[in-house]
Amino acid sequence: MADPLDSGDDIFDRLKKGVDPKLQEEKTRLANERELAQVEKAQRRLGELIQDNSTLPTTISSIRILNATNTRKGFLDRIFNPIISANQDRPYTLAEAIREVSIGADKLHKLDVFHEPISLFIDRPSHTDPSMTPTDIDIYLSVVEKSRFKFKTGTDIGNAEGSAYVHGLARNIFGGAESLNVNASFGTRTRSAYQASFETPILSNPDLRWEFGGLASSTQKPWSSHEEVLKGGWTKLRWMALGGGMHELGYNGVWRQITGLASNASPTVRRDAGDSVKSSLTHTWVKDRRDNPQLPTRGYLNKSTLELAGWGPLQGDVAFGKAEVEAQGAIPVPIPGVQGESGVSLTTGLRAGLLYPLPLGTEAESKPSRINDRFQLGGPTDVRGFRLSGLGPRDGSDSLGGDVYAAGSANLLFPIPRVGKDKPFRFQLFANGGRLLALKKSEIEGTDGEKVKQTLSPTIAELGNGLPSMAAGFGLVYAHPVARFELNFSLPLVLRRGEDGRKGLQFGIGINML
Amino acid sequence: MFWPDQKSLSDLGLVGIDKELEEYHDQNNSATTADDEGLCDNPQSQERPKQSRPKTQARETSPQWFTTPQSIRRLFDKFPLRIYSLNELPQRSPRNRENNTLWIFTTNEGAQLGAPSFNPGCLKWQAYMIFKGIDFVTISSNNHASPTGALPFLLPASSTKNPLEAVLPIPSTRIERWVREKKVNTEKTGRPSDEGLEARNQHVEASVSTKQKSISKESLDMRYEAYMSLPNYRIRNAYVGPISIPHEIVEITAMRSQLYSLYLSPPNFASIVLPLYVNPSTSNTLARVALSHQLRAAAETELLKQSPIIDVEATYRDCDKAFEALSELLGDDEFFFGEEVPGLFDACVFAYTHVVLDEDLDWKHTRLREGLEQYGNLVEHQKSIVEGWFGDNASGRSRSHKKA
Repeated sequence: MADPLDSGDDIFDRLKKGVDPKLQEEKTRLANERELAQVEKAQRRLGELIQDNSTLPTTISSIRILNATNTRKGFLDRIFNPIISANQDRPYTLAEAIREVSIGADKLHKLDVFHEPISLFIDRPSHTDPSMTPTDIDIYLSVVEKSRFKFKTGTDIGNAEGSAYVHGLARNIFGGAESLNVNASFGTRTRSAYQASFETPILSNPDLRWEFGGLASSTQKPWSSHEEVLKGGWTKLRWMALGGGMHELGYNGVWRQITGLASNASPTVRRDAGDSVKSSLTHTWVKDRRDNPQLPTRGYLNKSTLELAGWGPLQGDVAFGKAEVEAQGAIPVPIPGVQGESGVSLTTGLRAGLLYPLPLGTEAESKPSRINDRFQLGGPTDVRGFRLSGLGPRDGSDSLGGDVYAAGSANLLFPIPRVGKDKPFRFQLFANGGRLLALKKSEIEGTDGEKVKQTLSPTIAELGNGLPSMAAGFGLVYAHPVARFELNFSLPLVLRRGEDGRKGLQFGIGINML
Repeated sequence: MFWPDQKSLSDLGLVGIDKELEEYHDQNNSATTADDEGLCDNPQSQERPKQSRPKTQARETSPQWFTTPQSIRRLFDKFPLRIYSLNELPQRSPRNRENNTLWIFTTNEGAQLGAPSFNPGCLKWQAYMIFKGIDFVTISSNNHASPTGALPFLLPASSTKNPLEAVLPIPSTRIERWVREKKVNTEKTGRPSDEGLEARNQHVEASVSTKQKSISKESLDMRYEAYMSLPNYRIRNAYVGPISIPHEIVEITAMRSQLYSLYLSPPNFASIVLPLYVNPSTSNTLARVALSHQLRAAAETELLKQSPIIDVEATYRDCDKAFEALSELLGDDEFFFGEEVPGLFDACVFAYTHVVLDEDLDWKHTRLREGLEQYGNLVEHQKSIVEGWFGDNASGRSRSHKKA
């Protein structure tokens, strides 16, 4: 067979006589490398060309967005008008002009109404127009709009739940990258859920968005023998901070109903049954610097959530301040004798939360927490080796949740032999544990604030009393781009009486695992 | 022994069988608690089901097609390595597990004082249990908490201190039986009734006299039950002679007229239902509007269930007839059927007359009350029960109500 490839033929010939597939593989690899090199070279050449002319004075006379038929002109103007030279007090250099335009193109990307890639053309205007200056260039951005309506139905199975869903999405409704999401799902655990939300960028800025929506759902909570029916709405403002973090400030108003109690529901759950309205302000901050959110090998994630409910003018039936923090870090572990990345990595995670009871509105007494406001802990997505909500205070067979918690996990991930480190499969060894505690009942008399403080410090001290409830084990991890799947074998090491540890296999699916 | 471990042993099997196992545990669990509850005065019987539990589980939870090798099982038994004591319960958890608790519609303050409920269905059983000398405390609750979807229900005292032992609730339909069984148990063991000793003073007497009369009383109660088991329409048709009035008919007519008067008469809805039933549920205006609407719709469907149209006049007329018949039946006796202590029938009549006559309930539309006030002996009956059996607590609800 004649080899179309160049110079190093004789080596290949020799190899060809040996093992054929190996040669083929090598050949493709070389071809790929060469192609890559060529692209790089072309890029470099272009770069040099621009570099050489980078100081060339340039004025952008116009920017045209092609094929954006459904997008409002005014909306695009807000992105590109400031770039046009007529609105600048001095001419650009070529490099600056290109940078500015690509920032604009990048914003278009983030709006999620156009297909990638967005192609950019530069043209010199014809000199027939007397108003032209010699430094003028025209910019053309050619876009393809994504379909305006998307409709999807399907079924999901996961986390011991099967469900069917209908999802509708309307994009770019008013030509300003607004989107309307409508969701309905019916499942074995989430009996029914309807949700609609409308989101829009503010001032054409993809990094500043406003959202509002409403939901109505009914969810089975078998770990505490009830069904929770929710009806409510929210509004949120979301923006990117300079450091790369994402902020979200929102208001939630939800009418919750604890109903459909199981026949063996505990007195605590019966006590909390019925209606309550939560009116709360929330703030979330996330900074995600992990290389892969489902299977990180390096980087970190920091997250904090604050919620203030029922306090002062917020009203509602429940009042508390709630804070939750999460930190996750991953580092690659070098193996002596292995060149480059070994594929072995260590991830550690830490979560903690506190619910601080507050007086409602202008009342003097603070409201003790209810079951639907308290934290739950345990299960395949946080403290593995425990049943779903298996940690914390218990009444009968019900997990009651707690007001204070802390949980930590350490996972050592190894690539699987013969599968390799580039595939999203890992073998893991893990140990994790946590405590989930309810605030102690106050025995002292005094003002309300003192009482709460008096109950808080012994509860927090209790976190460190004895070993945390722990489990350890090993298992397989598959990181799908959407979620992480784990199949683990684990044994509980330390428990509190009543906590529901699990000996044996446990399967977990999660988006954000500890 | 810490039994959840025994059950976790089975988890070595696959995930798929997990649910099945859990169901089995649930059954096992409830069966045991039902056992406990039936024999709650006999301490020996407590131990039996508990001891047998781990054994049954070890046998049952290994599926046929998969048996854990002994060595592995022994290794697993070592885990968890350490078990600490229980986590503390949250602040809102009810603590009075050693008391019988009756969950009723009442205010928080009313619940503490044991004041009469403002809901006839709840008040009937509350009064009945007081008449029978049962010691209990009341808890303010709502229909969502009830196993039947309607208050009241009873949570019997937990015989152990262990909060992990579940106690099954007794719905209102089974309270009478529960009370009877409790009495039988108490008499069998020959112990003086705990309830009698601990009961508030005014009930001690009652409890003693109840015991003396218990045999004849029970046969009487049985007779009512027989009436109740008759289909409604036949009771209606048989509704002539005063002696054959079963409480079913009282309840139906009284309930109909009260349903109408409370829920479908806007002034009463605003002055009674809103402050007592709707407002305590939530402070949110929108949720209150939605709840009010739901309540009214439910009352309407309830009324329409029994007749195709809601005939206001007929409803009140029926009620008046019922009061008349009851008044005739009561005659000059203090309690119905010439008894010295009130029984279920008295509880049932009292539940309705009290709600109508209670001065603290702000009836704006007073037709029911005016109708009832014509029958002096029924008013006396209500008064003597409030004063004799609820004592000082009678106004507890109203005090807090007025404060609010």
